[in-house]
Amino acid sequence: MNDDAMRDEWYPVGLFSQLDRGGRETTLMGAPIKVALDANGAAKVTGEDGRVLPVSVRYGHIWSSLGEPRKPVFPIPEADQPGRRFVDVGVVRVRCSPLRAVENFLDIAHFPFVHTDILGSEPHTEVEDYKVEIREEEDEVWATQVKFYQPQAAKSASGGITTEYMYRVPAPTCSVLYKTCPPRPGEWDVIALFVQPLAEDLCDVWPWMALFDDETPLTDLIHFQQTIFLQDRSILENQIPRLLPLDPGMEIPTRADLTSVAYRRWLKRHNYTYGAQLVAQ
Amino acid sequence: MLSDKTDTWVPVALSQDLPTGQAMPARTLAGPIALWRSQSGRLAASADRCPHRGMRLSHGFVRGEALSCIYHGWTYSQAGRCLRIPAHPSLTPPETIRVATRSVEEAGGIVWVADGEPDGKPPLFEGYVPLRSLTVRAGGSALSAATGTKAAVEGFVWRAPGAPAIRLLPVPQETGETLIHVLVPADCGVSERVAASRAAESLRRMAERIEAKEAVP
Repeated sequence: MNDDAMRDEWYPVGLFSQLDRGGRETTLMGAPIKVALDANGAAKVTGEDGRVLPVSVRYGHIWSSLGEPRKPVFPIPEADQPGRRFVDVGVVRVRCSPLRAVENFLDIAHFPFVHTDILGSEPHTEVEDYKVEIREEEDEVWATQVKFYQPQAAKSASGGITTEYMYRVPAPTCSVLYKTCPPRPGEWDVIALFVQPLAEDLCDVWPWMALFDDETPLTDLIHFQQTIFLQDRSILENQIPRLLPLDPGMEIPTRADLTSVAYRRWLKRHNYTYGAQLVAQ
Repeated sequence: MLSDKTDTWVPVALSQDLPTGQAMPARTLAGPIALWRSQSGRLAASADRCPHRGMRLSHGFVRGEALSCIYHGWTYSQAGRCLRIPAHPSLTPPETIRVATRSVEEAGGIVWVADGEPDGKPPLFEGYVPLRSLTVRAGGSALSAATGTKAAVEGFVWRAPGAPAIRLLPVPQETGETLIHVLVPADCGVSERVAASRAAESLRRMAERIEAKEAVP
């Protein structure tokens, strides 16, 4: 498989706040790596052969790459916005393709069935038309004007509301979502999904949040997101095939899936095929 | 007569293990299937994969006479046709959206599935009732060695010390494991049923030991 295009991208490999001199052994795209603090307190990532890998610390996480990233880690402007609370949610390991994990994050139609009575509930199952585009300048997938009825959209929400969402895919295994912020109308809460590809069919999912919420205890915020991602895991580990089919025919999309259609098209265009299944194989 | 050909009946589960309004996974040599029983009690079997996003349908839920996928609620009839896509409530799904179905029959408390169109009905084992199923990490030859009997796929009678003669129905799995349905004489009392169940478990241990030994070079 030609995974060269994805080798040159950045991936999360751990939480900066949990790193020490002893370091952490982990895996990136099948290769064993070590993430540690050096003598100066800076993050350092090395490959099996002692090769020093690119490193960047952004959004609470350490990022690295087996190849040579041509750009810095993608921007999240809200990470510099005053008044936000940043939450390192931790990690959920999922036996699935990293691309399937991202695609699930882009999907709202599953809310009533998988996150029942939290992010969705019957009979409010309809997905209204929304806008999807590949923004050429930023080279990102964007979905906007996504609306969905939610019984409890966030830890800070009381009672059902129609939540508005925007989604971005700025990197092959990362997505950032913006959603209505219950205590602060006019602002958006930011929830990001950073996926570390361990193998083509195994990943560590690192959610991260930048919220306007000074009330909810940190533990509750983390439990809320962990609950959601564990519910997702029960789906992701039972999809056949484990890899994401990039060619049409294997799966049937509808209008509600236009974000995933654009994501798959964008992956294919860039030859981002680590974790993907192509008909030709 | 049972065989591993695909147009013959394969015993995939016991009726008692599939209550009304539930779905469960099962396997034939042609692959995984979703087995489900509607509210009115009708059995259905389909490929264990929703064509929308590949989710296993055996994780789904039954309402009325239809099975819904747990991921997005796409709903299928017993004949495999997609009836409803909840994200688009006013849309009538095109006929082309469907899951492949299997022939399914219940006989003597056993659920039988065939991938093709089998001739005739599945066999009935007169005088026996199903007790339980168990999966053994061993193939046919280890099972034959453990019972001292040829472990024929059409079933065979085996007698362990202190237990009634039981009928075993071994079903080879793609994984190399064997699913075994255990049948006991219809007039067995509770203590004999308990003894039969324990005998089947000791058979499992024996067969797995033999299989493990054979695997060692």
